[in-house]
Amino acid sequence: MGIMRIGHASLRVMDMAAALKHYEKVLGMKKTMEDKHGNVYLKCWDEWDKFSVILTPSDQAGLNHVAYKVEKDSDLDELKKKVEAYGIKTAMLEEGTLPSMGRMLQFNLPSGHEMRLYAMKEYVGTEVGIDNPDPWPDNITGAGAHWLDHCLLMCELNPETGINKVAENTKFMTDVLDFFLTEQVVVGPNGAIQAATWMARTTTPHDIAFVGGPRMGLHHIAFFLDSWNDILKSADVMAKTKTRIDVAPTRHGITRGETIYFFDPSGNRNETFAGLGYLAQRDRPVTTWDESHLGSGIFYHTGDLVPSFTEVYT
Amino acid sequence: MFLDTRPKVPVHVTQTDETFPCAHDESLLQGMLRLGRKGIPVGCVNGGCGVCKVHILEGQTHPLGPVSRAHVSAEEETQGFTLACRVAPVTAIRLEVTGKFEKPFRKGFAATANA
Ligand code: FES
Repeated sequence: MGIMRIGHASLRVMDMAAALKHYEKVLGMKKTMEDKHGNVYLKCWDEWDKFSVILTPSDQAGLNHVAYKVEKDSDLDELKKKVEAYGIKTAMLEEGTLPSMGRMLQFNLPSGHEMRLYAMKEYVGTEVGIDNPDPWPDNITGAGAHWLDHCLLMCELNPETGINKVAENTKFMTDVLDFFLTEQVVVGPNGAIQAATWMARTTTPHDIAFVGGPRMGLHHIAFFLDSWNDILKSADVMAKTKTRIDVAPTRHGITRGETIYFFDPSGNRNETFAGLGYLAQRDRPVTTWDESHLGSGIFYHTGDLVPSFTEVYT
Repeated sequence: MFLDTRPKVPVHVTQTDETFPCAHDESLLQGMLRLGRKGIPVGCVNGGCGVCKVHILEGQTHPLGPVSRAHVSAEEETQGFTLACRVAPVTAIRLEVTGKFEKPFRKGFAATANA
């Protein structure tokens, strides 16, 4: 079946103590491991694999790589062939390259972002277990995020020079990794330029998204919450912890997601995201947003583009 | 207005010729934000995105946290470049904004879209 879902994101942080406090106290993740290089691994309470976020010490912010989990180990060999046949170089990183993980297929998306695919990560179980579980554990802290949900990558887009890494990534993800398009933003004459796309492998409106900008980077990683009320509570947690909120609770037109955006202590943007939105399916017609409705697509209530939201990333 | 009795020093932004008072225990950017003023672009307020990059022309600051080396090199830092969200004022400050918002989808298309 190939790719199942997002597996983890590896982020650069400039102050490890502050970063760890943020992901534990604000998101409610738990540290599960630290390696000899000082990288810290964390998971959410409802995740069963060992980690979904890796924090690596650095002198700058940003994304090192994003990893997706495939169903079977043999998927890695098949996908390696397909990715290379498409003209993209790959490397198979051997088991143990990252602790508690099997081998990883490593390559760069057309946009330059490093992606890794893997089939094995150590199983540790959710906080509620599998035998007659309660719906939630008693030791939830902060927002109590359920799981890492998706990421949004900024991709180089320059209509004057004809560079459009959003479109290139979208084609690659469709043709090679078998993602399907759920929503897109088109701009320019006759909407000829695909400026942003939302793509899925699961039944949620996006497992990854690409938005055009002047340079590649990370716009945000998002964590799943149940409901609108949980979004409000997570905003309260951010106020209590003096976390910098980028966009107060609102709804996206695109994906229908209920959302709040904020920054980790190194300036990497996080999102807590609630609601199913809709059932994403391969035969569901693609939703298209045009230039004049972009504001509502992003922030449905006001329809205003917030400069710090659309123009700031790491 | 609400009373804020903390001692403050003036921060002057040369481009907009605006001055706002900033306390010694808050960043230049927080001081501006607290008053709802504008002039320095605001992003992550955590030293990572680089939009609040400034050149300190006069006055002394003290660091509040790490600045991203992707946006301010060690050499630039010795020349007075820094991120407004990562330094607090020690004395009165005169600064120049050097960071700017990069424009994703909107601006690049204005020409093509309206042609
Ligand atoms: S606002 Fe992002 S570095 Fe200062």
